[in-house]
Amino acid sequence: MSTWNYVVTAHKPTNVTHSCVGNFTSPQELNLIVAKCTRIEIHLLTAQGLQPMLDVPIYGRIATLELFRPHGEAQDFLFIATERYKFCVLQWDSETSELITRAMGDVSDRIGRPTDNGQIGIIDPDCRLIGLHLYDGLFKVIPFDNKGQLKEAFNIRLEELQVLDIKFLYGCSKPTIVVLYQDNKDARHVKTYEVALKEKDFVEGPWAQNNLDNGADLLIPVPPPLCGVLIVGEETIVYCSANAFKAIPIRPSITKAYGRVDADGSRYLLGDHAGLLHLLVITHEKEKVTGLKIELLGETSIASTISYLDNAVVFIGSSYGDSQLIKLNQQPDAKGSYVEVLERFVNLGPIVDFCVVDLERQGQGQVVTCSGAYKDGSLRVVRNGIGINEQASVELQGIKGMWSLRSSTDDPFDTFLVVSFISETRILAMNLEDELEETEIEGFNSQVQTLFCHDAVYNQLVQVTSSSVRLVSSTSRELRNEWHAPSGYSVNVATANATQVLLATGGGHLVYLEIGDGTLTEVKHAQLEYEISCLDINPIGENSNYSHLAAVGMWTDISVRIFSLPELNLITKEQLGGEIIPRSVLLCSFEGTSYLLCALGDGHLLNFQVNMSNGELTDRKKVSLGTQPITLRTFSSKNTTHVFASSDRPTVIYSSNKKLLYSNVNLKEVGHMCPFNSAAFPDSLAIAKEGELTIGTIDDIQKLHIRTIPLGEHARRICHQEQSRTFAICCLKNQSSADESEMHFIRLLDDQTLECISTYPLDTFEYGCSILSCSFSDDTNVYYCVGTAYVLPEENEPTKGRILVFIVEDGKLQLIAEKETKGAVYSLNAFNGKLLAAINQKIQLYKWMLREDGSREIQTECGHHGHILALYVKTRGDFIVVGDLMKSISLLIYKHEEGAIEERARDYNANWMSAVEILDDDTYLGAENNFNLFTVRKNSEGATDEERGRLEVIGEYHLGEFVNRFRHGSLVMRLPDSEVGQIQTVIFGTVNGAIGVIASLPHDQYVFLEKLQSNLRKVIKGVGGLSHEQWRSFNNEKRTAEAKNFLDGDLIESFLDLSRGKMEEVSKGMGVSVEELSKRVEELTRLH
Amino acid sequence: MEGSSSQLFDDDQKSSGASKFLFNLPSRGHLSSTVISSNLGGMRVYICEHNTSPPESQHIKTNQQNILIRSLMLNDKNGDSSSKDVKAAAEGPRKRAAERVMDSRASAKKANTQGSSQPEGSSSRAAEKDYHSLTVERLRALLKERGLSPKGKKACSLDELIARLKCVNGSSQKSE
Repeated sequence: MSTWNYVVTAHKPTNVTHSCVGNFTSPQELNLIVAKCTRIEIHLLTAQGLQPMLDVPIYGRIATLELFRPHGEAQDFLFIATERYKFCVLQWDSETSELITRAMGDVSDRIGRPTDNGQIGIIDPDCRLIGLHLYDGLFKVIPFDNKGQLKEAFNIRLEELQVLDIKFLYGCSKPTIVVLYQDNKDARHVKTYEVALKEKDFVEGPWAQNNLDNGADLLIPVPPPLCGVLIVGEETIVYCSANAFKAIPIRPSITKAYGRVDADGSRYLLGDHAGLLHLLVITHEKEKVTGLKIELLGETSIASTISYLDNAVVFIGSSYGDSQLIKLNQQPDAKGSYVEVLERFVNLGPIVDFCVVDLERQGQGQVVTCSGAYKDGSLRVVRNGIGINEQASVELQGIKGMWSLRSSTDDPFDTFLVVSFISETRILAMNLEDELEETEIEGFNSQVQTLFCHDAVYNQLVQVTSSSVRLVSSTSRELRNEWHAPSGYSVNVATANATQVLLATGGGHLVYLEIGDGTLTEVKHAQLEYEISCLDINPIGENSNYSHLAAVGMWTDISVRIFSLPELNLITKEQLGGEIIPRSVLLCSFEGTSYLLCALGDGHLLNFQVNMSNGELTDRKKVSLGTQPITLRTFSSKNTTHVFASSDRPTVIYSSNKKLLYSNVNLKEVGHMCPFNSAAFPDSLAIAKEGELTIGTIDDIQKLHIRTIPLGEHARRICHQEQSRTFAICCLKNQSSADESEMHFIRLLDDQTLECISTYPLDTFEYGCSILSCSFSDDTNVYYCVGTAYVLPEENEPTKGRILVFIVEDGKLQLIAEKETKGAVYSLNAFNGKLLAAINQKIQLYKWMLREDGSREIQTECGHHGHILALYVKTRGDFIVVGDLMKSISLLIYKHEEGAIEERARDYNANWMSAVEILDDDTYLGAENNFNLFTVRKNSEGATDEERGRLEVIGEYHLGEFVNRFRHGSLVMRLPDSEVGQIQTVIFGTVNGAIGVIASLPHDQYVFLEKLQSNLRKVIKGVGGLSHEQWRSFNNEKRTAEAKNFLDGDLIESFLDLSRGKMEEVSKGMGVSVEELSKRVEELTRLH
Repeated sequence: MEGSSSQLFDDDQKSSGASKFLFNLPSRGHLSSTVISSNLGGMRVYICEHNTSPPESQHIKTNQQNILIRSLMLNDKNGDSSSKDVKAAAEGPRKRAAERVMDSRASAKKANTQGSSQPEGSSSRAAEKDYHSLTVERLRALLKERGLSPKGKKACSLDELIARLKCVNGSSQKSE
């Protein structure tokens, strides 16, 4: 059953909608605050750059974001209004680092028509009132009293119904708004009003200006001393005030965003729809405006918001491409651009379509999205886990161990790579040509297997073999000292750091040596009752060369023990349980917390927190990483230490928010790994896998890895074909020159390089609407089918389209067959060896026929009418689920005998659909344009036809994201032995660039988590006093209803980030221990 | 910064294009490093464990009173002063701006035609409207009734007659 669903975000929204700069976190600190739909990010400006501080989830879609400074305050407050008519004023408490709610409220009205042009929220520059335009014909005022407190809000009738923009004017004795509006003859004007707070009404303002540019869309208030307002149109920019009017013509463009540069408002940055950045200058003599000048600076991502930060650095927030940090250079570069991109912030939005593939055939899904729009369009490969980028590799069989060594103690880079085999040891080194070649360290014994190697103090190297420990000078490479194992005993396992060596011989003997300048001193010896399986003395205390603790893994009693050094006194003994011996132990420290990791022979990993003062082990946790023995090693990347677990499923272990996270690595099976930080390959890893030694660099350590393939055009549909190892995309290119015409293409891409290998141009006015890879009955070939529409300017709905069938031959798209249709082909599905198309209001089934001459053609078989526009179609067996433009979901069935398609049931709600998916035979999932998700169920047991003909709504949830596509699949490797592995998941992609997972849970788990969710609601408060319950309640124009049969995974998983005290509070409410809760929630995090 | 912008245009000859506008960009000492680092630590996800409800008085609600009724009541409060501004403001929302301009001129005729369509305002205003609609004879009769001098012609001194009547009205209302 797929009734009980769990919704969680795998990739947070990245579409930047708003940004502002001010002193938010402290009077001295300057912050950039960025809104990404349902989250705000607070950054700190430092001399070195932008320092991320906080990522704050908001229970609402942010409609306005403004910083303001009430009278008598030293730092700015943040005003946020959400699309569901809530607002809040937040203040940063720097002592506790918390966001304090100064005020909040509901600004909805019972009657009123929501504005067409979006909500407007503005704050008077003198902080006398907050103005909101949420409904046509109404202007809401929230006044401040003289202490900066908010008072009761009231509405004022606004005569202008089609308002395009409203701003407050600067330098007015009474708060004055300027309104840009369109009249009923579509002419645009501006008008000013004074807000009379006492009378709660408007008073005619100081000036008005009629008949502006017909594309005027944006007002920019100019601060004192100039005052007035800039009216930005498509062909002109006008400066307007009570006593001045200046205009300049501009190249036709739509200005999307502006950013003020100077505090006096004499320079502005304008970003247009094509991503061009202009500088607008108000020339003035004293306080009199003399004219306007506009200069092209260069190209950026298409901006949705521009914030001038400091020192010529500007933040460009984008909805259509990556957001950027740019620098304005005073001199143009070779291409004449003044813009230098310093940094890009990945944005997947808008995800128009995506597909789930397993390119590396590892059993782990990757998502390939059509992201971005217009010139910023791209494909993004989103993969869970970390990638190793191969730099060099050599064939080497039978590697048993690897260590990197430096040629002197203070050398920052590694020189030698010691590779150990079953009966010899080879030493590789970087030569002058930066190539890896074999060399020798005379003092090392290279005739036997090396058990351990390490750099030691005083320019020395240590080699441990089964018979001895050798101390070698790293400069002369000669043997300086040697410790021999007692006769009759051989060393089985050994470990070392810069000053210490710990080794174990047969019979449970543990020997501890210390390294001096040319000396090896046996300090302590201990006899344990069983054989020792693994050792570690990685220093994690204050001294980075000396460890006070030793971790020892044991055979027979299957335990891990902590000994003190140098005394070799047993401090702690922890039974591991089970019968699998520990194969590798490692002491390490993440984000200031010390851990003991212990890997077992069956691919499980245990971790404990280590108390450094008394050696106690706490917080035992167990995860399964693979099925083979694991070897643990630390490495560093970007100055942070992580752990690499080599096994059949190599994993990187790292810490984020004080939680240990496990990320897969895109390699199949790794035997050994060692960090190899050479001058030629800085921050690299040497990796031994099946007969091969590879040097590679590692991606940024983060959970999801995103690879960007810029297209320079807008991809709208994507599809993968396993057999030809290709992707096909429908895309459109805007012709920058000739009158805005666009050209549509079908492109074939190689699925490894993602390079375009073949292109099929569509006709003029022809749009690619759908794409599918499928095969037909009685034909072994696999084809790409493309559905198109002729979008003619004079038609409201397309009346003509085509279905094109291509085959991939020699990396080329060959058109095999085509069929004209009577409308747009919105969707294509493979259906019982035939092709099912959704064409305008009709569902049409086509069969694949062999003609007498051996060629193929598509033939109409049957169809079904009865939709407004059948936009989204999914099939399962003989069932067809249709998502209609405005009539929700309906269920059709194909009857083989009669060769007909009939309607079986439908949901009678008026939902405007944006995506559908089939969860199981009876349950279907839909997303609609009010950002809700819902599930409906087929009612086969209904008593009457009427009941059977009705799809019952069983689940409702406000996602707060516009979903463009659902696909079955998973972003993570499915481990068959875990409970989570059995859970069905659907991935969705949204306009804001979020990727999420919907998991269908078993009923008992759902009930448990629902209880957890309601407990968490009591503990985790909504920022700004916003309610989680209200936020997740289903909401459309007609009704609001409590969320049902959906759980908010983001809230549930934040349990792991709670402080211990709050965790216990939740645990008490649940009657389940914190450990058990953590375990169950951690399991869920492995769904994404 | 104010000073900088006026200097901007002095050296037009020296640099071309946007260069001349791009110097002296505001700087407060941030982002001054030559290499802007992109890796200054991670972003902490904010989990709000403290109570986030605002102070009692700062839970803002909207005044639910109908805009028209509110304006009438406000007007009533200011009834005595009944300055022209307030009256215009009170009528504001119901009328188009153009009409309001006409209104402020307040020709007798305009008042005449509008009188009946106006909703019941303050009593004194209603009375004033009534007087305007009356003939001179009727006004004189009214004046006589109240023991006032009925002298004067409508054309020249209608306002005077009305003023006399209003004066009495005002005082009688007060005495009540």
